[in-house]
Amino acid sequence: MISYLIDIFLIGIGAALINNFVLYYFVGICPFVGVSRKISTAFGMGCAVIFVIAIAAVISWAITTYVLMPGALLSRTVAGLFVPPETAAGIDLTILSYIVYIFAISSSVQFVEMYVRKFFPPLYKALGVYLPLITTNCAILFACLVIMSKITGVDNPADAWDLGRALTLAVGGGIGFTIAIVIMAGIREELDLCDVPKPFKGVAISLIVAGILSLGFMGFTGVDSGLRKAMMPKPEVVAQVQPEAEAGK
Amino acid sequence: MKPIQQMEPLSPTAFERLRNNNIIQAWLVLILTLCFGSSLAGIQMTLGPKIEENKLNETLEKIPELILGAEGAQKLTESGEKLDVIPRSFVVDKPGKKAVYNVYEAFDKDKKRLGWVVKTGGQGYADRIELLLGVDPEVKTVSGIFVLEQKETPGLGNKITFEEWRGQFKGKNTETPMGVVKGGKAGAGDINAITGATISSRAVTDIVNMAVADLKGPLTANAEGGK
Amino acid sequence: MADQPTAAERFIQGILPENPVYRQLLGLCPTLAVTNGLKAAITMSAAVLFVLFCANVIVSLIRNLLKPHLRIVIFTLTIATFVTFADRFLAAYVYQMSKVLGPYIPLIIVNCLIICRCEVCASKQGVVTAGADAIGQSLGFCLALCSIAAVRELLGTGMLFDIRVLPVVWPDWVIMVLPPGAFLTFGLLLGLVNWYSDRRAAAAGGK
Repeated sequence: MISYLIDIFLIGIGAALINNFVLYYFVGICPFVGVSRKISTAFGMGCAVIFVIAIAAVISWAITTYVLMPGALLSRTVAGLFVPPETAAGIDLTILSYIVYIFAISSSVQFVEMYVRKFFPPLYKALGVYLPLITTNCAILFACLVIMSKITGVDNPADAWDLGRALTLAVGGGIGFTIAIVIMAGIREELDLCDVPKPFKGVAISLIVAGILSLGFMGFTGVDSGLRKAMMPKPEVVAQVQPEAEAGK
Repeated sequence: MKPIQQMEPLSPTAFERLRNNNIIQAWLVLILTLCFGSSLAGIQMTLGPKIEENKLNETLEKIPELILGAEGAQKLTESGEKLDVIPRSFVVDKPGKKAVYNVYEAFDKDKKRLGWVVKTGGQGYADRIELLLGVDPEVKTVSGIFVLEQKETPGLGNKITFEEWRGQFKGKNTETPMGVVKGGKAGAGDINAITGATISSRAVTDIVNMAVADLKGPLTANAEGGK
Repeated sequence: MADQPTAAERFIQGILPENPVYRQLLGLCPTLAVTNGLKAAITMSAAVLFVLFCANVIVSLIRNLLKPHLRIVIFTLTIATFVTFADRFLAAYVYQMSKVLGPYIPLIIVNCLIICRCEVCASKQGVVTAGADAIGQSLGFCLALCSIAAVRELLGTGMLFDIRVLPVVWPDWVIMVLPPGAFLTFGLLLGLVNWYSDRRAAAAGGK
C-alpha cells in the first residue's frame, strides 16, 4: 500500500516538474506561446487543461483497458458471441486507438462545455473561451498516448497501470503545464517593458525565455529516483534477502 | 467552431424531416468511417505480423552476443548456425507484489543449455532503463548486458550503452551483489562508475543485482529439473 | 473565388513565403521535439508529407459534399486514419526510427498545420491545387525542421546524419541536443529569419 502511494506521488512529481509536459516533452507549445500574454488568461487556460486532461485520461484508460488492448475484457466478450473464444481472446484493436482517443477528447470537450455552461455559469464565464481550443492541445492527446503505452507496452500484464496512476499522470501533467504557462506569462508581462531587438519581439524571445526555463527545470532530473530511495529503503533490502534464502533450500 | 443553426424548414414535410435527420446528414461521415475502417483492418492484417516480428527480433538478435560474447556471436553467424531460443516467464514472489520476468532460454544445436537472457528494467537517472541481462546456465556469472532503452543525459549517462562500460559486467561473479566504485579503482566484484554519471551507473548495477537475486533460485532449480 | 491562388502559387508559397514553421508558427510541437538529429527530422517530415498529402486530396475530392457543421469531424477522422497508416508503416519498415519518434508521430493528428491546410486550401480548391499545396507546405516544414536539426546535431554531437563532421577535439555542446537547446535554437533562428525578411522588405520598400 505504502509503495503504491509512493509510486503515485512520484508519478505526479515526475509529470509536473521533472518531465514537464511543455518544457521537456514540448507538447502544448501552441497555447504556451499563444495564450501566455497575461497571467490571468494563462491561469484560466491551465485550469481548463487540468479539467479536460483528467476526464480524457479516465476515458482513455477505460477504453484502452476494456476495449482496445489485446484480449481486453469487453471486446473479448462481445467478439465471443460471434466467433470461438480462442479467436476472440486474440482480438487486438490497438490500431484504432489514435482515432478513438481524438474523438474521445473532442467529444469530452464538447460535453464538458455543455455541462459547465448549464450548471456552473460562473466557471463557464472563466473557462468557456479556452475549452474549444483545448481539443487541438497536444498535451491532452499526449497524456492519452503515454497512458496507452503504459498499458499495452508493458511486458507482463501485472505491471499495467491502473486508473489511479493514469489519473495522477494526467493531472500532474496538467499542473506542470499550468506552472510552465503561468511562469511564462509572468515573464512576458515584464518582457513587454523591455527593449527587445525588433526581430526577436513576440514569439522568438518567448522561445529563448522558454529555453532558459527549460534549463532550470532540467535541475529536477533525478529528483524522483532520489526521493524513491529516500522513501522506501525497506522493501529493497527484503527483496534481496528473500531469494537468497530460497536458493539456499 | 459553433454549430451553424439549421434554418427553420418552410414546409416540414416527411421528406424535409428525413433530410434534416441527424443520421441522414451524417451519411458522409458513416461512409468514410466504413472505408477507413476497412483499410485500417487491411493494414493491420498485412503489417501487424511484421511489427510484432520487429519487436521480438529486437531482443532475439542480441541473444547470441549476450550468451557467447561478441566473438562467439560472430563465429556463430559465420558458421551459419543458430541458437534455439525458448521464451519463458518466471513469477517471483516478493513482499507486497509479484514480479514477472521474461526469460529467454538459449540452447545450442546439441540441445545443450548455453545460458539465460533476462529482460529487466528499473528506474534510471532520467527515466526507466530497460536492459537485457545474459547469465550462464547455473547463474554463477554474468555473460553480458545490453541496454535496450534509456533516456539518460547524452554525453554522460548514455555511456551506459557503450561497449567499454557495459563490457565490465561480462564474467562478473553473482555470489555477492556488485558494487559501484568511483575513480576507476574497481575491484574484482565491482563496477567502475562512469565519470559524471554515478547515478546512472548505480541504477544499471542495481537492476542487474536485483534481477540476479530474484531469479537465481528459480533458474537454478529449473536447470536441475530440466536435466 | 476568382483570385484563389493556382497550384504553382500554392506550391511556391508553402516553401518560403508562407513557411508553416517560421511564418505561420504552426506545428511547433514536432519542430522542437524531433530536431535533435537530422534523420529523425527527415522521417518526421516524410510522415507529415504523407498525412498532409492524403488528407488534402481526400478533403478536396469530397469538398462539395461537406456540411459545414460536420466539416471538422471529417477532417479529424481523415487525418487520424492516415496518421495511423504512417505510424504502422514506420513501425513495420523503420522500427528503430519509429521508436525514436515515439508519441510524436500520433501527435501529428493535433498538428495545427494539417487541419489548417485542409480548412484553408483543400476544402475550397481542386485536387491538383490541394496536392501541390500539401507538397509545398510539407517541403517548407521539412526545410524548417532540417535547418533546426542541422544546427542542433552539428553543435550538440559534432555529427550530421550520424557521420562525424567536426574534428574530434570539438567539445560537444550537449545542451543543444537536450530540450533547452531546441527552444534556444528555434528562438534564435526565428529571430534571424525575421531580421532577414525585415531587411529584404526594407530594401524593397527603399527602391
